[in-house]
Amino acid sequence: MTIAAGIDIGSGAVKATLFEVNKDGTTKWLGKDLHRIRQRDPMELAKEAYHNCLDQAGLKEDDVDYVASTGDGETIPFRTGHFYTMTTHARGAIYLDPEARAVLDVGALNGRAIKIDERGKVLSYKMTSQCASGSGQFLENIARYLGISQDEIGELSKQADDPEKVSGICAVLAETDVINMVSREISASNILKGIHLSMAGRLSRLLKSVGVDDVVMVTGGLANDTGMVAALIEDMEAQKMMMPVRRHDDSIQAGAIGAALWGAYRYERLKELDALPAAS
Amino acid sequence: MSALEKINERCLDLFEDLHFKAAREWKAAEPGRKVVGFMPVYVPREIIHAAGMLPLGITGGGDQMEVIHGDAYYQSYICRIPRSTIELGVSGRLDFVDGMLFPSICDVIRNLSGMWKLMFPNVYTRYFDVPQNYIDDIGGNYYTQELAELVEGLEELGGRKITEEQLRNSIALYNENRALVREVYDFRSKQPWKAPAADVYLLVRAGYVLPVEEHNKMIREWLTESEKVDRPLRDNCRVIVAGLFCEQPPLNLIKSLELAGCYVVDDDLLLVSRWLLEDVPLEGDPLHNLSQAFLHHSEETSAKYVPTLAEKGQHLVRAVAKRGAEGVIFASPSFCDPALLDRPMLQSALKKANIPFIAFKYAENSGQMQPIREQAGTFADSIKLWSEA
Repeated sequence: MTIAAGIDIGSGAVKATLFEVNKDGTTKWLGKDLHRIRQRDPMELAKEAYHNCLDQAGLKEDDVDYVASTGDGETIPFRTGHFYTMTTHARGAIYLDPEARAVLDVGALNGRAIKIDERGKVLSYKMTSQCASGSGQFLENIARYLGISQDEIGELSKQADDPEKVSGICAVLAETDVINMVSREISASNILKGIHLSMAGRLSRLLKSVGVDDVVMVTGGLANDTGMVAALIEDMEAQKMMMPVRRHDDSIQAGAIGAALWGAYRYERLKELDALPAAS
Repeated sequence: MSALEKINERCLDLFEDLHFKAAREWKAAEPGRKVVGFMPVYVPREIIHAAGMLPLGITGGGDQMEVIHGDAYYQSYICRIPRSTIELGVSGRLDFVDGMLFPSICDVIRNLSGMWKLMFPNVYTRYFDVPQNYIDDIGGNYYTQELAELVEGLEELGGRKITEEQLRNSIALYNENRALVREVYDFRSKQPWKAPAADVYLLVRAGYVLPVEEHNKMIREWLTESEKVDRPLRDNCRVIVAGLFCEQPPLNLIKSLELAGCYVVDDDLLLVSRWLLEDVPLEGDPLHNLSQAFLHHSEETSAKYVPTLAEKGQHLVRAVAKRGAEGVIFASPSFCDPALLDRPMLQSALKKANIPFIAFKYAENSGQMQPIREQAGTFADSIKLWSEA
C-alpha cells in the first residue's frame, strides 16, 4: 500500500488530494482540499491544503510515501517529485472517467486539448495562445463587471434566449464588447452565453486540431461552469463533432488526482529499483 | 549566511558584473599587469598565465545587457554572442583588456577577430587556430607552431620572455584546475541534489575572471562545503545538456531545467575548463605537450573536427553511460552553425543507442522560459513514466 499526495498550484486555485494505492491497483481517495488564491501566497495555501488532506485521513506527514506537485508547484519545498500539468490532467481524467480519450483542461489562464490513451499517456496536445480570452480569469472579470457571482454564471448562461457574439480573439476587445452590450441593455444571460460560445469556439477548434475522436473529459476550474460545458457541446454539435463531452464534480481536482496517482506509481517503481528519494 | 552560500553569492556577483571589476582590480594591483581576453571554446590559458597575464573569459553580454551598437555590425541571421561582445567592446567595458584571442569555433568568431583588429588597433588581437587533423606530423606540428606564435605574441605584449619553467608551473596549476572541475562534475553526477546545475555553472564560470590560484582555492572550499549540504533528493530524471559550448544560456534556462524535473548530470558548458581530459605532462617541451594533449586527449564537441563519421556522437553515448543519464537535452543558440549542423548527426547516434532526447533553441537574452519548462517537463515525465528502464 502506498500513500501519495498530489498538489496542484494553478493560477486561480490550489488543489490537494491524498490517495491510498494498493498493489492490485485499487485506490482509495483519502482527502481533498481546494483554496482560491485571491492574492494569498500559493506556497502557504499548498501547505494548508496538504495538511487538511492529512487531517481528513487521520494521517501524519511521515505516513506519506510521495508528495507530487504539478502546475506551478515545482518549488514546493516538501515535494518528492514534480509532474507536468498535461501529464497529471491526463491521468486524473482517466481516474474520473476511464472511457476518457481526450482532456479539455480549461483553467484560469489558458486552455489545453490533450489526446490520451487508456493508460493516461499523452499522445498529442495543443494549448490556447497567451491571450486571456479563452480563460476562466477573463470570465471571472466579466462576472464581476456584471455584478454576479461565479456560481451564478452557468445557470444564467443556460437561460439565454438571444446570445450576443463577442470577440473570440482578444480579451480587451471582448471586454469592450461587453461594455457596449451593457449600455445597450443586453441581459446578463445573453452576454454570458455569448462569451461562453466564443470560448467554446476556440476550445472546440483546439480539440479538432489534436484529432480528438472519442470521449472528451473537461477538467480544470471551468468544468464547474455548466453553462460553459453546455456551450461547448452546442458548438461541437454545430461543427459535427459528435464525440461525448463529460465533466465530473471533481474535474477541478484532476491535476491533483493525477499527480497523486503518478506519485504512487513512481514510488513503487523507485522501490523496485532501490532508488527511493529520502523523505523530505 | 553559510560558507557555501557566500561562495555561491560571490560567483553570482562575478557572473553579473559586466564591468569585470575583479579583473580590473587584479590588473590595478601591480603596475605593468596585462589582461588577455578569450572567447569560447578553447585557448591554452597556461600560456597567458605563464606570461604573467590574467586570462579573462569573454562569453558575451548575457540577458542583462542591452545590445544597441552590436546589432549594427551583423545581419539578423547571426547569433547573439558576437553582437554583445562588440557591445562590451564599444561601450568601454573591455577598455582594460590588453589582448583578445578568438579561437577557431566558427566563421562568425573568426571574422570577429578581424573586426576587433580594426576597431581596437591598440589591442593585441589574434585568431587562434586549431588543427583539423590529428596526425602528429601534420596537425601536431601545425598546432605546436600556432602555440609558439602565441608565445611570441604574448612575449611582445608583456615585454619579457616566457621561460619553459614558467610554462610548466602554469600547466601544473591548470592541470589542478581541470582536475578540480572534473571533481565538481563527478560530485554533481553522484549527488545532483547537492549540486544544483546553476551553482555548478556559476562556480566554473568564476574561473573565467579569477586568477587560477584563487579559483582552485574556491573550488576546493565549494566541494568541502557542498558535501555537508542537507538537501532532499527529488524524483528527477538525469539528463545531459548539449550544445551550449559557445553562446551562454540565460541562468534562468539552467534553473528551469531542474525546476522542470531534470537533474543535469553533465553538460558542455564552459569547456575551456575541461577541454583537456588528462593532465598535461610536466616533463619535456611544454608546447609539444600541450599540442599532444589537444590532439589525443581533448573533449569531443561540435566545435571540434571529428575525422571519422562513425565516431560522431559517440562521446554523448559514452557520457550517458558514464553518468547514468536517462536522456539528452539539446539546447543550442539560435543560428549557431557548429551546434545546429551537428545536431542531426548527434541525434542519429543517440537514436541508434536508444537514448531519448529533445531539442530546442535559445539566445543568451531569451526571457520566456515557459516553452522550455514545458518541453523539459514533458520530457522528464515521459522518461519517469513511460521509459522501459
